[in-house]
This record gives sequence, structure tokens and C-alpha cells, in this order.
Amino acid sequence: MTTAREDIIGSIRRHLAASKPFDAVHREHAGGQAEAVVNTALPAENLADVGTPLDNFGSSASLLGIHFEVAANVREAAALVESVINRIGAKDIAISDSELVAESIETIETVEFTRDASTEFLFGSDLGITSAQWAIAETGTLVLEAESENHRLISLVPPVHLCLLEASKIRQTLGEVLTLTQGNLGHAMTFVTGASRTSDIELTLAIGVHGPGELHVIVLADR
Amino acid sequence: MQQLTAETFDQNARAALNDPVLHGALRNLADNFVTRRQNAIASVDDWEGLREKARAIKEETLLHLDEYLSQFVENAEKAGAKIHWARDGKEACQIVIDLVKNRDARMVVKAKSMAGEEIHLNEALERSGIEPVETDLGEWIIQLAGETPSHIVVPAIHKTKEQIADIFVEKVGIEKTDNVDVLTKTTRRILRERFAEAEVGISGVNFGVAETGTILILENEGNIRLTTSLTKTHIAVMGIEKVIPKFADLDVFLKLLPRSGTGQRLTAYQSLITGVKKNAADAGPEDVHIVLMDNGRSRMLGHPVTRQSLACIRCGACLNACPVYQQVGGHAYGSVYPGPIGAVITPQLIGISKAKQLPYASSLCGACKEVCPVKIDIPELLLHLRAEITDGTAGGSANNPERKRRFAESLAFKMYGKAWSGQFSYGLGTKAARIMQKLVVRDGKIGKASGLIAKLLPPLGAWTAWRDAPAVAPRSFREQWKDGLDKQG
Repeated sequence: MTTAREDIIGSIRRHLAASKPFDAVHREHAGGQAEAVVNTALPAENLADVGTPLDNFGSSASLLGIHFEVAANVREAAALVESVINRIGAKDIAISDSELVAESIETIETVEFTRDASTEFLFGSDLGITSAQWAIAETGTLVLEAESENHRLISLVPPVHLCLLEASKIRQTLGEVLTLTQGNLGHAMTFVTGASRTSDIELTLAIGVHGPGELHVIVLADR
Repeated sequence: MQQLTAETFDQNARAALNDPVLHGALRNLADNFVTRRQNAIASVDDWEGLREKARAIKEETLLHLDEYLSQFVENAEKAGAKIHWARDGKEACQIVIDLVKNRDARMVVKAKSMAGEEIHLNEALERSGIEPVETDLGEWIIQLAGETPSHIVVPAIHKTKEQIADIFVEKVGIEKTDNVDVLTKTTRRILRERFAEAEVGISGVNFGVAETGTILILENEGNIRLTTSLTKTHIAVMGIEKVIPKFADLDVFLKLLPRSGTGQRLTAYQSLITGVKKNAADAGPEDVHIVLMDNGRSRMLGHPVTRQSLACIRCGACLNACPVYQQVGGHAYGSVYPGPIGAVITPQLIGISKAKQLPYASSLCGACKEVCPVKIDIPELLLHLRAEITDGTAGGSANNPERKRRFAESLAFKMYGKAWSGQFSYGLGTKAARIMQKLVVRDGKIGKASGLIAKLLPPLGAWTAWRDAPAVAPRSFREQWKDGLDKQG
């Protein structure tokens, strides 16, 4: 008896062979297109003329309803983090194991932060604080690599996600980030573009259906 | 609700045309998605070039699908994913059920997956005593209602918020409200409880990258992230056509898919999963399974026209653009895949003899081809399938009335073709028609009111059963030209 794998691969080859005599005729009929091109890299769009990666990320972020702030340094970032905590009245706060997060909350003494939070804690939490490995200016996207930081659930389960981002990690295009990350792909990488949303009821936009309903990004301009 | 079948499209469509609530719901689509898509594609410099690239990548992949699949499997396994092969839907369901049972799980959380719908995975799970919980808002609504999706991207598009509110009152026990935010928050609260107890998550796959063994899944809600990162076992059901060669190819498809589907530059989340975590302390499943499913797909490789069907990236743009879909909605197609793409995929998946009306469920206006991000020539496919039906390759005896009618039709069109291709016979023909049509023309049109026509000219009778044919003008253009165009008449 053959395995399912052998049968499926066999069927693919058999049908591709059967198609051969028709392929040339069809290609000619369709306008004489040459056999498919394999090289698919897109030309990099020249966004540099339009603005810096940070500027472009900022305008994409504001289009998406992301709460976006630029801090000159860690001290300023800490003040911004604290004001977010105060505004939403966050008490149960989960933080990732990122160095940048640790530095940014060091001076905040009004609340407690929980590292290595359990899933139970996350389900009842008010805020998750992480950093991001990369960001994409053209789409306002944060790139989270699970192999570099334990933010897979902290960025997802709490109702508010606050992300600290080093300005030097922002790239203009998706293509650049794909090239940067390909060589060292971990088990999970997540692209986050704005808050969780749905249009499933009468195509009416509703925010915060399963993931965070609020996304805050604080960029550290000096890093 | 009674499930409709693909065999009775004509009947289903007629019922849908008389459903004013459905029309109200569908009007949203054209108003929203069509405009949003147009705005979104304007943000790309060379949209046409991008479509060409996508089509070339898909064509390259499909022409060497055996090689790219093998490469995908090798790299996914290297990264720690477990691969399973399923010849058909039944095998795929059984693989999933066995995996769930290995975990001793009695329920699973599910992220929206068209492949899962295609093989009726929920029913199979239920028969095995496993409770499937849909977690996509739209998919959850229709699961509560006991229905099937009517759109690839927005499964509950056929429902008004009043109808949805009624379902929530009945099934979830909340006070009636038409506030979408309240309905959404309720969904979050209830499904969070299910996520907390779930050990197994089932998802689909948008793209599988051969070069890296990565699977990528797009969404907006976050339920796919929860399904694939909160559970201990993640099972992804993936059609064999979902593979693409290179990681960089994602650039092309991530520009095309969200813009075509929902008019977004990028959906809120993309999960890129490459095998399984190496460090046990990390968040995420302990094991990741990928079920590679054929279920009729490899057969479509057997001809360049049908092969195009496998390039589909399930964006739903052709549904939104289709004048037929806009009027009858998704359920009329009686299949998991509705709209123009459904009309070509369904007959190939379930057998053309079981879906003979679907290739005719189109006016061949070409709007679907126009918007397709991977340039699938859906009208060409529809004609190809129609030819298969009329050639009789689709089965049915020579005496069946359908074949007789189609034979009469093709003969008549051949005769018209002959008559109208010569100047003399054309002139004679139109003169004769002008005299003859006096019997049947009402208000300048040959309409269905003229019952006589059906008896006199059978093909024209079929044509005018549902629409009017224009009458031949009293004087031809040639005659007017001869007399000078200023003398109208």
C-alpha cells in the first residue's frame, strides 16, 4: 500500500504531465507570456525622500489609531509609561523580560510589575509592557520575535499593550524587515499593526475583540 | 436552517432575490469593501506589476508543486513541526481527531479556516465527541445560528445586527442590544473562558514558505494568535496549493491580500510560525502539526485553465465585485466557496455533475478577473467548465433534456453566426427579422411577455425568459447612412 504522501505527490506529477501538451498553447493564447519568473524581489520604494523611518512610522501609527509618543531618552520614556498607567488606572501589569522594559520602569514606584506572569495572571491583568525587535514605517507595524523576548502572550492577552521601541529598529519597508529576519527565524514571529479589530457585524468597525483594544508605542529617539 | 446545495443554484438564487433583509445586508459590501479596496490599492505604486509578480510566483509554484511541497516539508520538519498528509477531507478530519484524542481533549478552539469548512471538520469533530468552538466573531455567530459562512472573509455578512442580536439573546442570554461594541465585548468575555480551558487550537494557513518551512496566518481580531499561542497543541490544516517558494515572496502577497480583502494596508496581525519552540519555558504550543491536504486539488493541475484555480489566495475581492453575488449572497451557491471563485472551485472539488448550474451563475462581465490580485481568469475558467458540461464530459445521457436544449442552442447560434457573417445574408436576415418580430415586440423589446417567441425560436425563448432582448431597429445603420445621417429615422 502506498502512503498518502506518495499518492499525493504522484497525483501532482501525473496531472502536471497531463497538462504539458496544453501549456504551450495556452501560454501563447494568453499573450505569449514567458515561463514564470522566479525572481520576485520588489524594488525598494524610495521612502527616504519623503521622511525618516521614525517620521513615517509616526504618521502610519496615527492613521491606525495607535497612541504614539517619542521619548528623547529612557527617563522621558519612564514618565510616559507612568502616565499611561495612571490614565488607564492599571494595577495588574505584566512585563516581558526585555532589557529596555526593565530600564524604562526602573524608576516607577507607584505600581508593581509582574515578570514571568502566569496565564491566569494575564487573563486578569490591565496592561502588558513589551519591547519590539523591529518596526515597519510604511505600515506602522511592530515586529515581535518570540525567540528574543517572551512577549508572545503579554502583547496579546491584556486589554492594553504598551510597546517600547528603539528608533534604530525602524525600517522603511516590509521587504527590508523580511530580509533582516529571514536568516534567523525563530519558532514564532508576530507582526502587530494597530489594535485588535473586527468588522464582522454589518462591516461596522469594533476595536478590541480578542486582542488588546489599545496599543501604545513609545519610541526612544536616542537608541 | 436547511443547508442549500450547489445543485439547486437557480432555485436558491431565486429565493435569495426575494429576501429584502439579505439585500440590505449585502448592500453594505459594495458600499464598504469595494470603495475601501480602491483606496487601498491607490497606495501602491505599481499595482499591476504587483499582480503580475504574484501570478508569476503562483504559476512557478504550481508547475513544480511536488518540489516546493517537499522542500516545505523538509524545512518545517527540521524546525520541529510534524507533517501529516491527507488525500481527502475524510482523511484530514481523521488525522485532526486522532491528534485531539491524543491530548485527551474534549473541546478545541478554532480559528476561521476555509479548508476546515471545506472538509466539514466541525461536524466530524462533533461526531467524535469533541466540541469545536469557533472563535472568529463572524464564524462564532454562524456557529451559534447553526449556519454556514456566506463569505470567505466576513462569514456572517448575510446577517443584520438585529438578527445577530437575537441570536445572542437566545444562545448567550444577554439583554437585546443593537450596540456592536456590546456584542463584541460579550464575545470577548465568553470566548476568553473557552480559550482559558482549551488545550488544542486548530487554524488554517494562508501561506507556507518552502524555503523556511514557515506558515503564515493573517487576521484582525487576535483569535488566531490566541488559538496558536495559548494552547498546548496547534494543528494547522493547509491545502497543498498554499505553498510559496521564498520568504521574500511574502512581501508581494502581504501587499496584495489585505488590500484586496478588506482594503487594509496590512491586517492587524500576522503570525509567522516556523516549527516549534526550542525552550520549554517559552510561551506557545509544545507541538505544532501541519495537515497537508489534497482533496481534489492535484487534479486541477491537469490543465492550464483549471490550474489557475489553485492560485487563489482567498481574499474575497471577486465576491464583493460580482453583480451576481451582490444580489444572491453566498448561501445560494450551496457551497463553502461562494461567488465567482466558488463557481469555479466547487464543481472541481465536488464533481461537476453535482454543481452543473454554478458555471452558469455568472454574466461573464469580468469584474472578478479585474479585481483578482493574482489575475485568475475566472471567466475563462467558467467557459472551460461550461464546455466540459456541454461536451458531455460531465456525464448525463444524450437523451437528457438539458443536453437537448443546449444542443438546440448551439445549433441556433451556429446558424446565426453563418447568416450574420455575410453582407447579403445579413441584410436579408435583418429585413426578415424586422417583419417577423412584429408578432412579438412589445414597447420596442422582445420580452418574456411575448410567450409566442418561446415556441417559435427556442434559444431566444430561453434568453427572454428572464430578460428582454432589444428589437431590431426599423431602419438599419446602412440604410440610414445611405440616406444621409441627418435625416434620422
